[in-house]
Amino acid sequence: MTALALWARRYGALIRNAWLIDLQYRAAIVLWVLWGVVEPAIALGIWWAIAGAGPVGGYSRADFARYFFALTLVNQLTLAWDSWYLDRWIREGELNFRLARPLHPMHEAIADNLAYKGRTGGTILVLWLLVAALWPTVRLAFDAERWALVGLAVALAAAMRFLISFTTGLLAFWTTRATAIMELHAGVSLFLAGRVAPLALLPPVVAGAAAFLWFPYMLAFPVDLLTGAVQSGGALARGFAGQIVWLLLWLLACRVAWRRGIRRYGAVGG
Amino acid sequence: MHFWGMADAAAILADRLSKVFRVKVRAPGLRGAVQALVRPRYRAVRAVDDVSFRVAPGEIVAFLGPNGAGKTTTLKMLTGLLFPTSGRAAVAGYMPWTGGSAFKRRIALVLGNRQQLVWDLPAEETFRLNRVIYDVPEADYRARLDELVELLDLGGVVDKPVRQLSLGERMKCELAAALLHQPSILFLDEPTLGLDVTAQEAIRHFLRAYRDRHGATILLTSHYMQDVTALASRVLIISHGRLLYDGALDALVARVARTKRLELVLGDGVTREALAAFGSVLDFQFPNAVLEVPREAAAATSARMLAALAVVDLSITDPPIEEVIQRVFALGAAPPAAGEAP
Amino acid sequence: MSARRAPRWLRVLGALGRVNAAEELQYRANFVASGLGTLFALGTALLTLLLFFRHTVRLGGWGFWEVVVLLGVFTSLSGVVEAVLRPGIGQLAEEVRSGELDLVLARPVDAQAFVSFRRLDLWRLTDVALGLVVAGYALVRLGRPPAPLAVVAFLVALASAGVVVYALWVALMSLAFWFVAVENISVLFDALFEGARYPVTAYPGALRVVFVYLVPIAWTTTVPAAALTGRLGPATALGAAGVGGLALVLARLLWRAALRQYTGGGG
Repeated sequence: MTALALWARRYGALIRNAWLIDLQYRAAIVLWVLWGVVEPAIALGIWWAIAGAGPVGGYSRADFARYFFALTLVNQLTLAWDSWYLDRWIREGELNFRLARPLHPMHEAIADNLAYKGRTGGTILVLWLLVAALWPTVRLAFDAERWALVGLAVALAAAMRFLISFTTGLLAFWTTRATAIMELHAGVSLFLAGRVAPLALLPPVVAGAAAFLWFPYMLAFPVDLLTGAVQSGGALARGFAGQIVWLLLWLLACRVAWRRGIRRYGAVGG
Repeated sequence: MHFWGMADAAAILADRLSKVFRVKVRAPGLRGAVQALVRPRYRAVRAVDDVSFRVAPGEIVAFLGPNGAGKTTTLKMLTGLLFPTSGRAAVAGYMPWTGGSAFKRRIALVLGNRQQLVWDLPAEETFRLNRVIYDVPEADYRARLDELVELLDLGGVVDKPVRQLSLGERMKCELAAALLHQPSILFLDEPTLGLDVTAQEAIRHFLRAYRDRHGATILLTSHYMQDVTALASRVLIISHGRLLYDGALDALVARVARTKRLELVLGDGVTREALAAFGSVLDFQFPNAVLEVPREAAAATSARMLAALAVVDLSITDPPIEEVIQRVFALGAAPPAAGEAP
Repeated sequence: MSARRAPRWLRVLGALGRVNAAEELQYRANFVASGLGTLFALGTALLTLLLFFRHTVRLGGWGFWEVVVLLGVFTSLSGVVEAVLRPGIGQLAEEVRSGELDLVLARPVDAQAFVSFRRLDLWRLTDVALGLVVAGYALVRLGRPPAPLAVVAFLVALASAGVVVYALWVALMSLAFWFVAVENISVLFDALFEGARYPVTAYPGALRVVFVYLVPIAWTTTVPAAALTGRLGPATALGAAGVGGLALVLARLLWRAALRQYTGGGG
């Protein structure tokens, strides 16, 4: 059996496992998805009120609606929770049996993400379609080429957010406050990744600072690509370049954190 | 019971294994907390101290010791979760810490917290997952699963969600999950802990049967005596990180136990005082009594007693193994640096 | 209920409070951590408001400092939830799962009160103080000190807000019995309560109606803040008290229905 077929079978089994577990927790997942909808819905509500007098920073009411719907979908497809359960694995001894078997624990985490996002992303998409049937404002023009690019951007963003979450979780090898660091990151990303408002509405200094970090590539770029706010070749190229560069940097950080972390784990136990 | 007959190729080899942890020393109170932050001080805890032993293929060996003795730490070093501070270990020909996937396929580890089964799904799902993780061919998987279900009496259990199973059933499923890839060496950490007597016996019976069929090497840690007497051919007694004894259990008893017990069923008219003339009376509930006498004098004392008193029944036994072990611990109980394994 | 029942009920609560306080005093590090967490949440909320007000002067007719008063009220109420209500939910979830809840229900204390208040995280009450400080500072910046009557109205409205929050919590717990997903009511509550961060007038009409009459979070933050800043007259306090009482009664009815279904149906 070729290596590719072998890995396909492994991921098939891991994803199936994660999918079945999610099935057991569907009530909880419904609520988490609800939370994922409520946050942008409230932000939209406020911007809707503000933009009642006229467009704000180039965004009309309709623009805000499309932005936040796109944000809800892209966020659901890219968010990552791994720092929480990696932290728990490390602190409560659940990492041990995973290390004793011939599968890197990261694959289990990736499969878990894929199953969860497939399920919840699909739900959000269906919801969006339903709303779009009744409310023309949130409809997007069908454009196969752009949507293919959106798919790529979302995949890159999801991979990066996964690595950020995983690496932060690995900090549990050294500190008990790994989840606090993740929450700090989430708090910052509220602004710098565009969850509270499109980046164009931030004070220029802040938006400028954000451009030097990975935050816009987590959410804002794929969202703008989806809504059509990013069209031109220049912005497109810059966006993808930023995604790839930061993905590679976080991949490096993850590998370093894992190597060092396992070394430390082997020295001081867990 | 040695299936491979290669006397020199040890399945498990521990050569002067040591593990020293640096633990932060912290004085109590606020000042101590500040000091721990600014100028941290450490002391060395020797969790495992110069432990050497070998286990031949197909042996069942028990690691016995009180909590914190270093059993689990040694186990972790043998399975590659911890690396030794000094000394070396070789398991199935690999160095555990660097063994990688090839090493991990040859062993199985079932730890104390027993959380390897996916909690919300039937055990069957964990089995399927393990099959893929260890790349077990379908035909082998079916055959092994059937055998394990039969040996462990798991019919009707593997398709119920794990959270609905009793502790004993869960442990059996954990074992099944660990053996699907037919490891040559099985490491078990407290496998019978917390189980009721029936489940404990079932597990012990299974482990013996499995070893007999497949020649697997089994190293288990325990603080239950019955695990040792019923299962292991050899016992390694560890306390405060040091190996106090390595060998068969009856030899240990003979060497360390200095007394014998006389269990008596007495006839009419025998009083406690009359009995006390022959040895120290441990228990007296007419007509039963237990007397303790020096080992060498056991036979002679019995003869005298039978002649002098109305004894209906008499049997000579060893003191309970727990007591023997306690003596071993007490004898080896002066550690060079105070500390127990974290 | 006889007159003698109240003191015993209070005594039980008192005993619980003492036990919890002794435990919690040991967790000083956690206190600092959760305090920092609240400050961080407050910080991001303020930054969010600053961002909104960068592009507008009024939000639902409210000025910046008025909304900050509301944020203070929100923080205080959240503190009450964290201190009193949320700590018990994990235990309740476990008891429903394991079936121990039947034992709890068999006790001679009122089950609703018992499961609601048995675990307290008293350190989180500092959030309440923090919220009031924020509200007070915003009032100062508004330059319109409230009349004494307005303060009284505010306190009444705030107490009623606490009752409404509690009633919402009990209603959600009751629903959870039907769905046996008790530990998730925390998430559900947060999702619902999130809308209380902003004045209800900022939302479009239909949503406003929901937040006033159906899921009455408007009465939790908007009304007390409006009473304090003088937007609403002191008579509102009476309305708030009425809503609080009604919410509590409805929630208790729902709770009892859920319990009947739970015990009657065999769990």
